[in-house]
Amino acid sequence: MINQMQADGVIGPYAIGGAVGATFYLEPSATLDVDVFVTLPTTSAGRLVSLSPIYDYLKARGCDAEGEHIVMGGWPVQFLLPSDGLEEEAVAQAVATEVDAVSTWVMTAEHLVAIALRTGRSKDHNRILQFLEQNAVDLDRLRGILEQHGLVTRWERFSRKYREGNP
Amino acid sequence: MSKQEMRARLAALSFSEKIKILEKLRQRSLTIAASSLRRRESSKAPSQAGKVASPPDRGT
Repeated sequence: MINQMQADGVIGPYAIGGAVGATFYLEPSATLDVDVFVTLPTTSAGRLVSLSPIYDYLKARGCDAEGEHIVMGGWPVQFLLPSDGLEEEAVAQAVATEVDAVSTWVMTAEHLVAIALRTGRSKDHNRILQFLEQNAVDLDRLRGILEQHGLVTRWERFSRKYREGNP
Repeated sequence: MSKQEMRARLAALSFSEKIKILEKLRQRSLTIAASSLRRRESSKAPSQAGKVASPPDRGT
């Protein structure tokens, strides 16, 4: 239904992030919702943006709203607008994949790690460690993203705290 | 099979298979959350019953 919403011009490019996005690269771990980062085709500088068209579109097609989520296929889905250059880049560079023969987009492992680093909760740090332990992230590419988005200091702090002895 | 091997094997599954596992994990989490709510409700019940059984407050 998200692809149809994109085809109908309600949203532009999108990408799955958060725990479900991470599951594309890692072993599955429990999560209660799906984070979908979307761009809006009408977004322009200085213009107030709203997710209402998405919610209106989906509610008109039988989806129920639950707080900030909208339930699709039994899953509460949270639509999020990219809040900065890092998230915009994560959507723009997302990886194409399929779920049950339906095409979709998932953020790269490096963007998921960078966003988790910036978000900085315990569960985000755990997820970063999972990516590193499973060699699921290209460290050179990650460093480039961290440099571009001003996250190197934070990464060094994270590494000192959790990765003593590792590069 | 070691824990590491199990994690690697799970990570190597297709995204579709992983999503199915996520659905089961989510269902399990919801079930656990609901049962702990029920436990809390049932542990609250006796004290609430006690309140009902106690003499009415006469505002003294």
